[in-house]
Amino acid sequence: MMEIRIIHFYPDLMNLYGSHANVKVLRRYLENMGCTVTVQRLSPGEKEPLISGEGEPDFVFMGAGTERSARAAMEDLARFDTSLKSWARDGIAMLFAGTAMELLGREIREPDGSVYPGIGLAEFVTEHQERGMTGDVYGYTELYPQAMVGFMNKSGLIRGVESPLLTRLKLGWGNEREGGPEGFHQGNVFASELTGPILVKNPRLLETVAAAVLTRRGVRLPDPLPRDTLGWEAYAVTEEQLRLRISEKAP
Amino acid sequence: MKKFFAVILCKMLHFMGKLTGRGSSLPGKAALGICRDILGRIELPERIIAVTGSNGKTSTVEMIAAVLKARGIKVVWNEEGANQIEGIVTLALSHASLGGRVKGEVLLMEVDERYAAEIFEYLCPTQLVVTNLCRDQLTRNRHPEKVYEDILSAVHPQTELILNADDPLSSCLARGRGKVKWFGVEKCSVSADHPTGAYHDGAYCPVCKGPMEYDYVNYNHIGSYRCPRCGHARPTPDYLGADVDLEAGYLTTGSGVRIRLSLRSIYHGYNVLTAWAVCCNAGIPEEAAASVLSCYRLKSGRVQPFTLGSHRGMLLTSKHENSIAYDTNLRYIASSERDCVVLIIVDAVSRKYFTCETSWLWDIDFDQLNQLHVKKIILSGRYCKDLAECFSFTDLHNWSVQPDICRAVAGIRTRGSEDVYAVTCFSDRDKLLAHVERH
Repeated sequence: MMEIRIIHFYPDLMNLYGSHANVKVLRRYLENMGCTVTVQRLSPGEKEPLISGEGEPDFVFMGAGTERSARAAMEDLARFDTSLKSWARDGIAMLFAGTAMELLGREIREPDGSVYPGIGLAEFVTEHQERGMTGDVYGYTELYPQAMVGFMNKSGLIRGVESPLLTRLKLGWGNEREGGPEGFHQGNVFASELTGPILVKNPRLLETVAAAVLTRRGVRLPDPLPRDTLGWEAYAVTEEQLRLRISEKAP
Repeated sequence: MKKFFAVILCKMLHFMGKLTGRGSSLPGKAALGICRDILGRIELPERIIAVTGSNGKTSTVEMIAAVLKARGIKVVWNEEGANQIEGIVTLALSHASLGGRVKGEVLLMEVDERYAAEIFEYLCPTQLVVTNLCRDQLTRNRHPEKVYEDILSAVHPQTELILNADDPLSSCLARGRGKVKWFGVEKCSVSADHPTGAYHDGAYCPVCKGPMEYDYVNYNHIGSYRCPRCGHARPTPDYLGADVDLEAGYLTTGSGVRIRLSLRSIYHGYNVLTAWAVCCNAGIPEEAAASVLSCYRLKSGRVQPFTLGSHRGMLLTSKHENSIAYDTNLRYIASSERDCVVLIIVDAVSRKYFTCETSWLWDIDFDQLNQLHVKKIILSGRYCKDLAECFSFTDLHNWSVQPDICRAVAGIRTRGSEDVYAVTCFSDRDKLLAHVERH
């Protein structure tokens, strides 16, 4: 039985609006495929045996937090910057969801003029605005044909993303503007400012991330991949509602 | 002249609205169209009490109004519930003379937490009460810290704050201010040792983001906290709920006054204590305030009894996008002892705007329903599959899905005679009430 290790960064500090469900649903999905999954929850300042040299994780996750929580998270995450970059190069799957995405970039600029560095896994820069950007999102990724759905809840404009996760939006806020590309995707690093449980809301993304985890470990994937039936049924409702909304708004 | 026309128009529209049963925002909106700063141009009562926060505003304001009225004080308050700037303008102008003098001794306002800046631009409350700040309506509020910043930027330096000592976030509003009164509840029979719920917003200090320690929590992150890093800690309450005994159904204040609770929930206990604190702070004798609040039954109550065939039913109105409001009702069901069926409906996420956002469902602690007396749980409405996905991660197995609300209700009607608890939002409650026998 394959053992899969997940590191969940800052599960209390960075856990706005059901972010934790991403780990839950991935864990269950992998367990249903016969894996034994260990989730290691890491709090700021906490020593992590995996990171101190007992081997690499199979999946790394961080969820959404407030702007101030994200800054506090970054103060701690800085000590993992070499590890995170090395894991990304090694093809370890990661998901940085919600405001956690901002920490992957070069720097984060606050409305008061202060600046703090991100991990620097990518060159993008986040500029926090006084006004928040909220609203439903419907768009497409190049990873699969189904639409992605979710809810944007952010204050940052993210400039300089060269490889977005969602390349085309039909509704909602992207990285820099409404209707523009959203998120970040490079190798097995997935990031999106979409808040909350994006793997629950997008079962096809869940399958894609799970496949990335297992393929790196040399697992031959079943065809077709198992389906999270309830997740797909819930997705169908939201996808349809958003599609109807888009057609109502169309001129 | 603009003021005169704004008052006249608002009064006329308000009168017509009352005849036709229309909303209470439109007259204010029209008045603001004529005179943007109308709230700054009218003559307001000497005492202006504003109540804001995430949960408990409506109940608290209603109870304060009841006490003031019982003491013969003429109070103007937003009974109709409109708490954004248009509603506040309607409230003030509909109670004003043609010259613009609001005819009351006290103006008591429930204020939408995100509209505080707009309302307080022209109006300076003598007292601002903040009930609590927690996750609520992310689709417009973003998150509690954002709401905190909005309120902070709106507060006048001369306004006296009446704050929840037990809320680590809203208590920060007192930082650097002198005029603050605190209310808080001591450890009681329902307290826990650590933050409870599906998430832990109280795990980190809102001031320095260091890990927080708790002596106890009364619900979620509301309790006795301290931050070892920066020293942010629960202040000593001026108005104390020294003992909340939910089994016996009373709250005893620090000064020994006993208030009987019409609803045996800790959340209601906080609302009653807040109302009592505000009234005492306004100079009403403690015992007199307590006697009105004792067993006070809320007219704006979120609890509505009904009958469904042989079932005795109770609608527990929640707020979608507000996990604590849901947790409140689930906790109430868990504490009941009779066999019951629970119907949870999420059909329209909001009654005011379009959204498919369901992330907030994952913040609800549905495992609270894991009780022997909860015989069956039915999930219904458009987003029942999202609910079902949440339930699939709980320890519960006695749940089923029926997307059609009418069929879900009919299914309950035809079988058994257990109590029925329906949990849903304002936006969806009429979809239930249309199919039951209302009391």
